[in-house]
Amino acid sequence: MIRAFGAALALLAAAPAPAADQVTPIGAGWQPTDKDERGLWLEVDELERKLRTSAFVMRDPALNAYVRGVFCRLVGEAACAPVRIYILRTPVFNAGMYPTGMMVINSGLLLRMRSEAQLAAILGHEYTHYTNRHVIQGFRDLKRKTSVMTWLALVPVGGYAVAAALTVAQLGMIASVFTFSRGMETEADAGSVPLMQKAGYDPAAAWRVWEQLRAEQDATAAARQRKSRKDADGGMFNTHPPTAERLAALKELAAKHPLGGPADDGAVRYAAALRPWWPALVDDQVKLNDFGATDFVLGKLAEDGWTPDLLYARGELYRSHGDLAQAAGFYRQATEAPGAPPEAWRGLGIVALRSGDEDGGRAALGTYLKLKPDAADRSMIAMMAGETN
Amino acid sequence: MRKVAMLAAALALVAAPAGAYKLVAHGARVAVAKSEMTIDPPIDWNRQQSRPGRNAEAWTLDGIPLNEVTFYGGIEGGKALFKEVDKKNKPLPVFKSTMLTPDVVQLFEASYRIAGGSSLFEVGAVEPAEFAGHKGFRFRYAFTLEGEEVKRLGEGAGAVVGGKLWLITYEAPAIHYFDHNLADYRALVASARIPGPQVTVE
Repeated sequence: MIRAFGAALALLAAAPAPAADQVTPIGAGWQPTDKDERGLWLEVDELERKLRTSAFVMRDPALNAYVRGVFCRLVGEAACAPVRIYILRTPVFNAGMYPTGMMVINSGLLLRMRSEAQLAAILGHEYTHYTNRHVIQGFRDLKRKTSVMTWLALVPVGGYAVAAALTVAQLGMIASVFTFSRGMETEADAGSVPLMQKAGYDPAAAWRVWEQLRAEQDATAAARQRKSRKDADGGMFNTHPPTAERLAALKELAAKHPLGGPADDGAVRYAAALRPWWPALVDDQVKLNDFGATDFVLGKLAEDGWTPDLLYARGELYRSHGDLAQAAGFYRQATEAPGAPPEAWRGLGIVALRSGDEDGGRAALGTYLKLKPDAADRSMIAMMAGETN
Repeated sequence: MRKVAMLAAALALVAAPAGAYKLVAHGARVAVAKSEMTIDPPIDWNRQQSRPGRNAEAWTLDGIPLNEVTFYGGIEGGKALFKEVDKKNKPLPVFKSTMLTPDVVQLFEASYRIAGGSSLFEVGAVEPAEFAGHKGFRFRYAFTLEGEEVKRLGEGAGAVVGGKLWLITYEAPAIHYFDHNLADYRALVASARIPGPQVTVE
């Protein structure tokens, strides 16, 4: 599981990789028989029952069908069929596959992937955690350190709900249950690359994902004037620290599993499938107050050109960061392109007013109201634009 | 501002400490949020003992999860609205004295999204409204906290006066509670007094 919290990782990562439990990999239709694993399944089933009715699940049939299609192509129809995939509206890079065959993917992960092959790399990684039963291994490891009762008391709240909501201190034990050792990470990486090769996805996409995440961490750290933690605890990606070592191992794996034919990264298909959701997911990201990472993510999304939506988002980011002059530039560029969102004029108007340009500000706000007559903030903006309602 | 307390309760499995509230009797004007903002409550309220922030204070009628009014008493430039939940990894955005209403509403939204870990937050109508005799604003919002799944509605009213943000918000579950106590909240807002220059008509 890829999880986004801090600290707790150290618990397991610092411990030697659990060589103890010999766990045989599983296939479709497998059912647990021993007490530990059955208990774990019950808890996870309860979690899934709650998840099914959660307001955070993105139920868009087209998006779900697309993501499922990528997973099925990767692991094959038979293995794919029993798996339930839930996409959560959570702006944090994270995904996980539970022992019962429940897969959870955060919208923040979808926002960051640049191609279908990159998504496949993540899904293959999680799927390997699942087939190799890493969760139960981690659980037994934890059980050696603590009592079952403690664990049972913690797990029901330790599932999807913790995704972005928790602070480090609150997590403590919970996260460590679902934290994998570095040995398991290596195993999951090693499992994902052959799956990609078999499905015809460019295996190099796997290391590119982590390279991007490393660069994003650098961007966050630089903007917050801190040291990047990419090679330490992995920072926000701490359960899957994208260390230089891992990156090198993935590159080597990719080289060992060359594709027979031309590499398919499915970037165009991926962009088409995600496009309807991009404005909302970008908006979620902009509002995280993580200037460095957000500017980096926007830049990645704009590799094929800055669309009006992306320019608008960048204007919003710079305005919330207090850089009004830059924000104005991005808003203006957005408004000059065909298909600009009306909100770009609102942004332009606000920064103009804040910078003392009353006439320019009022004119831009007036344009916003003309383009979006039913805006929820109409009466406020109308007043700022000097219009009498 | 229930986010911090509720997350702690739900996730660390600690119940809200008993005796966490103190009565605010009706009929007497009180200073709130360790600030110069004063309120004259027409009915009895309960003040949460632990403050959501240095210049913030929460009141409730039936318990914070059911109806909550939060006072933000003169937030200064460079300060966040309430306590940080994880300053190192998820720092809250800060108020700036040059912010206009849309910036303030956006600041409020981002603060909630970050502290509550929720991307299900929507701002509704934003409109001009007088606040404590000053030109101010009023806005509506709706949100759901992750791990809790209760849809809540909210209303905020405030103004930036003397370079400081003065704000009073109300939020309650969309089912029953929000409508039930909205008038009680608005009565508090109507009684609010803050220091600062008088409004000049332009």
